[in-house]
Amino acid sequence: MVGPLEQAVLALMIFVIMLGMGASLTPRDFYLALKRPQGLAIGLISQYVFMPFIGFLLISFLPLTPAIAVGVLIMACMPGGTTSNMFTYFSKGNLALSVLMTVTATVFGVVLIPIILVLYASALDLRIPGENIIITLILLLVPVAIGMVLRRLNANAGAVTEFMGSVLALVFIAFLVVTWVPRNWQFLMETLPATYVAAIALGVLGIAIGYAFARVLRLHPRNARTVALETGIQNGPLAIAIIAFTFTGTEAQSYMAVPALYALFIVIISTLVTLIFRRANTAAEQKLPDGLL
Amino acid sequence: MADPDRPWTAFYGPDVRTEIEAPSYRNLPEMIRAVAKTYGAARAFTCCLPNGMNGTLSFTQIDEMSDALAVYLREVAGLAAGDRVALQMPNCLAFPVAAFAVLKAGCVLVNVNPLYTAEEMAKQFEDAEPHALIIVDMFADKIPQATSGHPIPNVIVTRVAEFFPVMPKGIVGLVQKYWDRSVKPVEVAHIRLPEALEAGRSHIAKDRVQVDLYHQAIASDDIAVLQYTGGTTGMPKGAMLTHGNLIVNMEQAMALMVGALDKGREVALTALPLYHIFAFTVNLLGFYWLGARNILIPNPRPISNLKRALENYKITWMSGVNTLFRALCHEHWFLDTPPKHLKFAGAGGMALQSAVAARWREITGAEVVQGYGLTETSPVLTFEPLGKPREGTIGIPLPSTDLACFAEDGARLPAGEIGELGARGPQVMKGYWQKPDETAKAMNGDWFLTGDIAVMDHDGYVRIVDRKKDLVVVSGFNVYPNEVEDVLAAHPAVREAAVIGVPDEATGEAVKAFIVSADPSLDTNAVRAFCRDHLTGYKVPKRVEFRDALPKSNVGKILRKDLRAEALTQTAAQTAAEPAAQAAAD
Repeated sequence: MVGPLEQAVLALMIFVIMLGMGASLTPRDFYLALKRPQGLAIGLISQYVFMPFIGFLLISFLPLTPAIAVGVLIMACMPGGTTSNMFTYFSKGNLALSVLMTVTATVFGVVLIPIILVLYASALDLRIPGENIIITLILLLVPVAIGMVLRRLNANAGAVTEFMGSVLALVFIAFLVVTWVPRNWQFLMETLPATYVAAIALGVLGIAIGYAFARVLRLHPRNARTVALETGIQNGPLAIAIIAFTFTGTEAQSYMAVPALYALFIVIISTLVTLIFRRANTAAEQKLPDGLL
Repeated sequence: MADPDRPWTAFYGPDVRTEIEAPSYRNLPEMIRAVAKTYGAARAFTCCLPNGMNGTLSFTQIDEMSDALAVYLREVAGLAAGDRVALQMPNCLAFPVAAFAVLKAGCVLVNVNPLYTAEEMAKQFEDAEPHALIIVDMFADKIPQATSGHPIPNVIVTRVAEFFPVMPKGIVGLVQKYWDRSVKPVEVAHIRLPEALEAGRSHIAKDRVQVDLYHQAIASDDIAVLQYTGGTTGMPKGAMLTHGNLIVNMEQAMALMVGALDKGREVALTALPLYHIFAFTVNLLGFYWLGARNILIPNPRPISNLKRALENYKITWMSGVNTLFRALCHEHWFLDTPPKHLKFAGAGGMALQSAVAARWREITGAEVVQGYGLTETSPVLTFEPLGKPREGTIGIPLPSTDLACFAEDGARLPAGEIGELGARGPQVMKGYWQKPDETAKAMNGDWFLTGDIAVMDHDGYVRIVDRKKDLVVVSGFNVYPNEVEDVLAAHPAVREAAVIGVPDEATGEAVKAFIVSADPSLDTNAVRAFCRDHLTGYKVPKRVEFRDALPKSNVGKILRKDLRAEALTQTAAQTAAEPAAQAAAD
């Protein structure tokens, strides 16, 4: 679906965006997120317990073909990716927590994803492509680290990188939606309503349940927003890579329907959720009287 | 052995000089120049925006740039010694450059609150009659209306990101222009600050202008700054602060901290506006004098705007008001990472609540020290000696400062008796600009009467118990009820209005309006919106109450004191009711 040149451009964009995200962070942010690991633990539970279960419920109740159902399950088992970090940043969430959740979920995913899939779809034998996991981690951690160093060396270089990264992130989000629709027009027309429902509900329920779970366990709203986005937003490209690795030909095409649809709708859903989160953040801000300053 | 006339000197620390009568420099330009020579290439001012973008000027750069601008003001704009120059900007790098340039040019600096409405600016301009205005572009749209009564021949326009490196300056410019739309068109003839500096520099190079000649003749008794404060009649009054007043007060205030601070090594967070006398004297002058690096915050609202500055710089000292400390104590990021290097903080402008001070100490592990003063006293008069605060007091007088209470008839009262607080010392202003009657009313011999009703303990600690004037102090800013009442009276649906100050948890005091309305549909929001068109934010009534009638004396004068007494009983009843309600809920 995506050519090698486009893939390289996308990878470069993600690199620059993550450089910008990194430039908004300090080592203390990570230290604090690790010092209180309950946020991370809640996020991981939400990611690998609730999300697959949501996927399981969806395939149980929706009239889906077996291949589509497998696509839903695979998608539901994915860790978060850089997209979740981006939306956490724009939602004024806890970016350090988001990055840590992505990293731990991706690393644990190597073991957890096969186990969960066996649990919900006993016959499914998936191969997790190690190189994709490594690339995901590199594309996340290397630029974040460079961004942090940059900020440390020069606050202006950091702030400018962060600004550029966030502008590029907006372009990236718009680019995903705008190029996706015409390219997959035929596919959109042929897809059955139940598949749409599954692809959209996965993201919406993931975000809603992640948020509710985190709030019930009394996480700060900022961390709850992070867990919500991290839970609902999955690493779409990783799912596609896993499918491409495991299946071939037309079979692979139908397994990929949900991941592809999900990739489109999660961007739209997350954008709306981000707008809501930002508003909530502004509303929760302390009102300083006009007088002081 | 403590001076028997000044028993409070016994509480001064061992390093504190008890006498600071005469300034160590003849005038402010001399101080500015000497400090720049000492600290040279060290960083003097850094302006930090909420996103972390920043610009920095060294002591040498500040000195050179303010020289160039001083030459522009004198040679190109044609100003003479003693001419007023209005400065209207939030904290940014242009502030020290412009303020120091005005002083070096031998001119008089007039600080103007950038958030003022055009009407409020106009009143101040009519009184001060400035010959030049140095303003940040975000507020330039108000110039035509503000100067219609008193045209200002020279306008110099600058920007918040002035003197930033190219990239951040460009980004901030684009964001302000296209995203916030906070940059306003300048519809009057003007010059940009960098061009004015260039013009000044070329004059220095060509004509070998000696900047020092502009201020050589300035004595410590000459006016340096007209610092405006509201007037009881609604017209602003300019306190004439001399070079001597400001230098001495800076030295008096810094003397208290000398033991705890290292010259040339401190980093001060300046989130309070420099146009306010507290930050002007303590941060702009005092910390500059100490060779510190001032981190200037253009806008501390929302309070998360301080996050990057606190993360990126090792802040060792900060000045604030109760509102600011209180807000920081409620921010999750501040609680998570309180400034590690903070030695202590200075609070002024309004009473520091003891709960806030206690919480601050608990979070930061650093002391917060309260001072008290007024615009008319440059401003600091008292401070809490380190480690010896006394609950409910504003501390003890500064070195070479006398405080005493006076009876209605002007007689000085002995310690322990309640009266109007008077202050005497080298920091007391020269008088109000072109208002000898007002000056006479404020003085009792060489004592300046503060308008605060106070009582002094036998060893010198002062407690404020009440206020004589109808003044309301909102987060350190003075609001005169008359000015707000005048605006309210101009509303077609308002038949009568009275304004008082009521206790407020967030701001110390808040403005409350009582209105007799001619139109039953008039509501609080409409009243506040109308006020906002004519008054800067802090003067707008926070609370509005509609009444059928207002209490009046037999000659028909509205009795604010009756309204105040009512409001106080209400507050007391509420505070009493709260724990009861709490208990019921449990």
